[in-house]
Amino acid sequence: MLSRDGVTGLVFLALSLFLLALTRGLPESTMVPVGAGFYPRIVLGIMAVLSAIMLVRDLRARGGARAPAAAPAQGAGLNYRLVAITFGLFGFYVALLPGLGFRIATFLFVLVLQPVLDPPPGWRRWALVFVVALATALFTHLVFEHYLSVLLPRGSWTGV
Amino acid sequence: MEIIYTQLFGSILDMLHFKYLLPLLFGTIAGVIGGALPGITITMTIIMVLPFTFGLDPLQGLAAMTGVYVGGSAGGSITASLIGIPGTPSAVATTFDGFPMTRNGEPGRAIWVGVWAAFLGGALGGIFLIASTGPLAAVALEFGPWEYFSLFVFALSMVAGLVGTSITKGLLSGAIGLVITVIGTDPIMGVPRLTLGTDFLRGGFPFLPVLIGIFAFAQLMSDIEKMRRGAGGVAAAGPTPRLWVSQAKVLWEILSRPFLLVWSTLIGVLIGVLPGIGGSAANVMAYDQAKKFSRHPEKFGTGIPEGIIASEASNNANVAGSLVTIMAFGIPGDAVTAVMLGAMTIHGIQPGPLFISQHPAVAYGIYAAYLVSLPLMVLTIAAGSRLWMRVISVPKSILIPIVLVLCVIGAYALNNIMDDVYVLLLFGLAGYAMVKLGIPLAPLILGLILGDQIEVNLVRAIANDPNPWLFITHPISGGLLAASVGSVVLALWQHRRHQQRAGMPEDEDNDF
Amino acid sequence: MPSLHTKETKTMKRIIAAVSCALVAASASAAYPDRPVKLIVPWAAGGDTDNIFRPFAPLLQKHLAQTVVIANVGGASGTVGEREAKNAPADGYTVFAPHDFVHSAYYTGVTDVRYTDFDPICMISSTPSVITASPKTPWKAWAQLQADAKARPGQITVGASLGSTSQFSMALVEKAAGIKFKYIPYDGLAPRMNAILGGHIDLTDSNLTQKSKVQAGLLKFIAIMSEKRNPEIPDVPTMKELGFNVVYAVSRGLMVPKGTPEAVQATLATACVAAAKEPAFANSMTLQGTEVRFLDRKGYAQFLKDNDALYKEISDELGLTKKR
Repeated sequence: MLSRDGVTGLVFLALSLFLLALTRGLPESTMVPVGAGFYPRIVLGIMAVLSAIMLVRDLRARGGARAPAAAPAQGAGLNYRLVAITFGLFGFYVALLPGLGFRIATFLFVLVLQPVLDPPPGWRRWALVFVVALATALFTHLVFEHYLSVLLPRGSWTGV
Repeated sequence: MEIIYTQLFGSILDMLHFKYLLPLLFGTIAGVIGGALPGITITMTIIMVLPFTFGLDPLQGLAAMTGVYVGGSAGGSITASLIGIPGTPSAVATTFDGFPMTRNGEPGRAIWVGVWAAFLGGALGGIFLIASTGPLAAVALEFGPWEYFSLFVFALSMVAGLVGTSITKGLLSGAIGLVITVIGTDPIMGVPRLTLGTDFLRGGFPFLPVLIGIFAFAQLMSDIEKMRRGAGGVAAAGPTPRLWVSQAKVLWEILSRPFLLVWSTLIGVLIGVLPGIGGSAANVMAYDQAKKFSRHPEKFGTGIPEGIIASEASNNANVAGSLVTIMAFGIPGDAVTAVMLGAMTIHGIQPGPLFISQHPAVAYGIYAAYLVSLPLMVLTIAAGSRLWMRVISVPKSILIPIVLVLCVIGAYALNNIMDDVYVLLLFGLAGYAMVKLGIPLAPLILGLILGDQIEVNLVRAIANDPNPWLFITHPISGGLLAASVGSVVLALWQHRRHQQRAGMPEDEDNDF
Repeated sequence: MPSLHTKETKTMKRIIAAVSCALVAASASAAYPDRPVKLIVPWAAGGDTDNIFRPFAPLLQKHLAQTVVIANVGGASGTVGEREAKNAPADGYTVFAPHDFVHSAYYTGVTDVRYTDFDPICMISSTPSVITASPKTPWKAWAQLQADAKARPGQITVGASLGSTSQFSMALVEKAAGIKFKYIPYDGLAPRMNAILGGHIDLTDSNLTQKSKVQAGLLKFIAIMSEKRNPEIPDVPTMKELGFNVVYAVSRGLMVPKGTPEAVQATLATACVAAAKEPAFANSMTLQGTEVRFLDRKGYAQFLKDNDALYKEISDELGLTKKR
């Protein structure tokens, strides 16, 4: 098995080779001596070399002295589940924005994410959660839409 | 030379009139707030202020905008220090030491070191620049495509040294930044590149959503993963932070490091004068320099004042630099000055080589507005310090959702399209993954800022003359390239020495 | 000519007003506009196009009696904003503020959105191109430039946004004079000014906004591509006077997505006429080195059609046209 750095190297090496393959179809320019693929190939080449160095280093370290297996211990005790849920909720929020409009989607997002991050112990905290959600949605909408002329998504239900 | 200062003194007195002071104060306050809110950049704030200035006379409007620029540059440091998210790109390096200092229980010190460094850097940079506009402008004009290309490469190579643990990872991070800019429509011929045939990727990844995504999520998710269910009031735990500090002590902390202050200011000024780089690069470069010159580079990132001073002094000096470039050439150094240029032309003022002689009142008025806005900025932050206090004592469970909503608005509002919000989400995931993989974020951001410019200048140079040796035979360009190689070699050497001394490479990943 | 023009538009305005009143009265729906109108400017804030529509928006707002909000949707030579405008609902609440890039971007293959995806509302301005030379070049007038270009074909450098208006104008000059330039990519007027002041390019297409630099001796105006000399720079000859039939200007106007209701288009057009006639607009345009050139819906439609044909022709000749 590779360590974290080895995997990183491998992933980026694969990515740069894949993107390098994509540059093959790029046209040459009629106006300047180099085409649209010239610079991407250089940059992707640099990325490929750097990630290859990371991969090779990791493999050699494996052959020589064993590096201490400190990585798993470091990750223990961290609440990755909460991170995944937050990303999921944020994804939902972004997906619902065009349909529900900014006000409703924001209200729902802030309403749901707060108790997920920190479950309210009593009804007073629940009330606070509700007020924060409502205030965030209305206040940002008011300030940006009316005072700062930023048109936020209105929601397809409004027929706009 | 004497005439310059007489004129300037008169303009400063004018600026103190209610007629100009009010818009200047309003702009400074708006700038501090806009700069402090994560995801709201100075560019966005200045665009929001722009419509209000149409009804004013030109100097009133420009005073308001100058206030936004100065206030925003300093305001970004408040968020950077208190919650570890740069309020604006120009406060990226402030997070490196400002946030650790807050975590060490000294948020007041972190903020005030930043504010006073911004004030002193801004004032020094301003005075220096007002006197030397002409010669500096002449140098910037001599930079052709070869010189710009080499300068950007040099900037990137220097940042490789920022990374504590692995130079390979630092360089890889920079390369990732460059690769991100390659995706989308190419800047020369408009050919879609690496888009997999999708419309979504055609416009490329816009800078701001990528920046907000990477920094905001890297920070917020690292906070979330440390949260416990039912822990209650997570942020309130630990020692109650105090914002009060002895101002004299803080000032002495800065003034006792004159070399650091002047050198950071100089970097800020020089980068400000060169068009197209801007404050987002200045603070990272100044931080890197401070670390390289330091007697104890390993302490950087643990919450020492040097890191904050370097970042804040340079980014406010950078504002002065950009102002001079726009006034001397009519060329905007960054997006903020581009909006200011627009405002000037709307008011019938064409900045350029004749600007100062044709509109002395306006030209010196802008300098005066700049100098007067610095103390106003300090007062604004002092007056609002209870408010900043409240920002960090709010429980994370409330703060995080609100910050995420502001990030969405920030990503959406500059271009008004949902695609940018999707980019925000994508790079939020990427930023968090990078933290977990131990890849530093700062070189990526610099690569992202410079990527297009590197490519464009490379192609310009080749279109002019395909001979590649010109990059080395042009003296400025060759010197900069040699310095880039030297910078990486030096970093490698330092790193090796450090490893030998420490015996084993340590594994500390939380260096954003 | 101009007086006749205004008379025409005045009559036109009355007719349009009458027609729109009748149509609005006839339809039972709520009167347009009853909420803010979004004006999509497909370039960044502070650019040339933004500078022209910024002062126009409040005037349009005044005559439309409804808030007009500018949305800068930049990216990929203006085509990101163009696509956004095309995909917006055709209800008059999204208005698009393009310039001639809509033709060149289509033919050079940057986008497949075409001007025909929109209905024209009005044209408001026209910015004539001026051939501008670096102070480090030896030429004092067109004749010397032409002779030099003939002596060293393909060596005189021109800074231009490749495939866009600033290249098309210089390509017309090339074609008319039988000379050949070397194009260096510089996107946008600001970076071109930087390069030309430093002598890193020899020539570029600029406009009257650069007048002060010429007066300071930092730049040279060689010739203007308008029908007549401009009173702001009376010493600069037109290409026509020099014997070349090259007339080129970048024109800007308003469009709405195809299929927007007739009554809504008429209301917008009426407001646009009134706004373009405001002295405040004329003043700010003079400062931008731009002429107010008003064309109504019909006139603008014809103009777009002719212009599109012209761009196709130049694009073909330059070998820039993308096969589709």
